[in-house]
Formats: sequence, C-alpha cells, structure tokens
Amino acid sequence: MTKPLVYEPTGVVGEAAASLARAPAQLAGARLAILDNGKPGAATLMQAISRELGSRVGSVPGALFQKGSAATPCEPELARRIESEADWVLTGTAD
Amino acid sequence: MSSASDPTLCELPGAPDSNGIDARVAPILELPRDCPEALLEAYEERGWGDGLPMVAPTAERVDAMLEAGCGDEDPDAEVAVLPPRDGIATRRTLAVNAVLAGCPPGLLPVLVSAVRALSDPAINLRGVNATTHPVAPLVIVHGEAIARLGFNAGLGTFGPGCRANASLGRALRLSLLHIAGARPGAGDASTQGQPSKYAYCIAENAAESPWESYPSAVGVDAPSAVTVHCGENPHNFHDMESETPAPILDKGASVMATLGSNNAPVSSAEFFVVLGPEHARTIADAGWSRSDVQSYLFEKVRLPAGTLRDAFAVTQWRPWLHALPANADVPLVANPSQFRVLVAGGAGKHSCVIPSWGMTQSVTVPIQA
Repeated sequence: MTKPLVYEPTGVVGEAAASLARAPAQLAGARLAILDNGKPGAATLMQAISRELGSRVGSVPGALFQKGSAATPCEPELARRIESEADWVLTGTAD
Repeated sequence: MSSASDPTLCELPGAPDSNGIDARVAPILELPRDCPEALLEAYEERGWGDGLPMVAPTAERVDAMLEAGCGDEDPDAEVAVLPPRDGIATRRTLAVNAVLAGCPPGLLPVLVSAVRALSDPAINLRGVNATTHPVAPLVIVHGEAIARLGFNAGLGTFGPGCRANASLGRALRLSLLHIAGARPGAGDASTQGQPSKYAYCIAENAAESPWESYPSAVGVDAPSAVTVHCGENPHNFHDMESETPAPILDKGASVMATLGSNNAPVSSAEFFVVLGPEHARTIADAGWSRSDVQSYLFEKVRLPAGTLRDAFAVTQWRPWLHALPANADVPLVANPSQFRVLVAGGAGKHSCVIPSWGMTQSVTVPIQA
C-alpha cells in the first residue's frame, strides 16, 4: 500500500524584525531602568527586583518608564529615551 | 505535548526554521498508513492541529484549492507575516490549512482576504494571539460571495450546519495555530480559551437588512468583502414583545454595559451589534437609521464614572472621559461609530453583541485572490 505524502501546515518563519541586544558584561554600576507595562502589580514587583539586584550585584536602580499599554509594543520614542538613560531594562510581566 | 514548558517560544516542532529563506513548501510528511487517524496522530505528534479530525493535505487537494482560488497570483508569494511566530502566510500554506479544515476549493480567496485583514496593524495580531484574554477573530463575509460560495447569512449563521461558515472559520484558526504559532501555551496565553477559537465565521444578511451593506457603511466598495473583528463569543439578547426600537436596544445595551468586558477600561474598543432581521426591521420601521442606532446606544451603554474607577486601576480612556465627575455616566465607547451594526441571522427575536478584546480595531477588506 502506498504511504501518502501530505503537506506540513506551518510554512517557514520570516526574518526577525529585531533581535535581543547583547547582555551587559557586568551589572555592577550599570543603570537599570524599569519598563512598566501597566499590568496590576507590575511596577511593584519589578521595583522590588530592582532593589534586590542593586543589593546583590551592585546595579544602580534607575528610572521607571510607563508603556502606553500592555497590549501594544513599546513606543519608539520611549524606547529611545530608555536607551539614552539606562544600560539595561527590566520588563515583561503579565497578569 | 506541553508547550508551556517549551523554552523556545513559538517554535513548532517539525516546522522549517529558516530565516527568510524560500517560502515554498513541499509535501514532506509521509504518513505510515492511508487513513484519517494516521494524519491526526502524525499532526498531534508535532503539535499541529486543533484536536479535531482533518482532511489530509495531499498535493492533489492543495493543487485543487490553488487552482480554484489562486488566480494568476504566485502561490508562494508572501500574503502576510503572522506573529508571534512571524510565520510567512502564502497562498499555498493557506491552501494547506484550508484543505485541513475541510474548505471547498472556492473558499481560498476568502481565507486569503481574511488573513490580509488580520495582518493590518489596526488588528494588533501579536496582542490578539498572545494575550491571556480569550479573544478570537470573527470573520464576517459580505456581498455576492455569500451566495456564490454557499455561506449561510440566515438562520443559524454562527453555526452549526454550514460547511462554508464552519470550514472558513476553522481554516483561519488552523492558520493561526500553524503559521502564526498561536498554540495554547507557547503563542496563545489565553487563560481559558473560548469555543469561537475553533471556528468563528458568519455572513451579513444584506437581503434582510433595512440599511446599506456593512462594507458600504465603512467605505469599502467591492462586490464582496470580509470584516475581521477580534472579540469575545457572541452575547445573546432576546426581545419578543417590543414593537418600538428603544426597548429592544435597551436590552442590548444592558448586555454591553458591564464591568467584565475589556470595552469598559478601553474606550477605543468596538462593540459589534449583530441584529437579527426581525429586530432590525422593527427598528427601521420606526424610521431609525443605522446611525440612529449607534447614537442611541452611545447614550445607553454607560456606567457611572465612580464605579468604573473603583473597578479598574488602569484605564485606556480618551482624556475627556477622565474629566467626568464620579456621578456622571461614562459611555463605554469614545464615539458612537464604535458600535458596529449589521444584520445577520434568520427568523426570531434574537440579536447579539460581541465585545472587543480591547486594543484592536476591526478591518474590512475586499475579497481578492
């Protein structure tokens, strides 16, 4: 009996629009910004983590930035501001 | 398989992981035997499918789908890139998913057009697919394609029972699962999901609508069109006794004026108001236009500002809404046009509303191969 061939359904993946930046070589003295997506408790949690990182590895707690909505990407202008004011960013909480 | 523990977000096992290489796809998967169970098992092993039996996408069936619905277009040209996986949707990959869903061959242009609509930035597909909300894209078919392709705009338009409605809705979902990577866990964080994530397609009953067709009302002039709205399941409202518009619409308004939908904290969100033909006729016979319905609902779909502020720590409201005092009734949309009114369904005194996910806007496009 012939074994049937069928298509795979996924197609291929396109080129990534962006890639993650290289992680900083060391965190001691690095400015740590927080990008709050507005989810309940997000800023509270990330500020606590920021303080913990400050005491453990010596990073410098920096500015708290507010994204327009958790449901949309970070606004380009805001991303440029963060880039100019911080060495690394803490973000990404959900519900 | 448990995708939640998969560290490679949105990587589909078995899928080509090329980065911008050839979008051409070949029939590469050999099934161990020629039966429906073999396809289901082979797909399940790879994390594919929606859990239901599928039609085997053989070269003959996919070619027939393309022959009937691709026109002069290149079957391997990019139609859209679908996040979060950023999979490239081509007519061929969409045809594969249409075959899997059981679509008749003529439906491919409707699927291609729906995918084109989904890729409009206004839809915010990355958010739609990745959110914890149960949101599903509703496809609404308009125009001459309804009769030509066998869509049901009448009794039971939301289903079940019509192959075109059911398979087109399913084909879109399979395309999102496979091409967009919107699998529960890795690419779809929906807390509970919802039944409309299996298939969600209706057709506008323009023949029984007292108003101009929906595409005309939103400025799309084409023989056939599709609208995509990303929202909740339909919420029914029932009025058997009223002979004037207001009591009917008041019941619809009471369904919409709740704290539980994302329309409450997001003032840019739309409500789709799908009126049954009998309700629409009662409303129109009193001299009300579609615009009158929208204006009336704008006045009635409201909640006290204080109640909303108590309920939501964060709102996405237009600035003027923030200025209202606590005892003022706040409209749940910023503009009456955000009540998207159309007619679908058949005999009976039922209509429904479809609240939005929130950070998304509906899109209507002509049906084109």
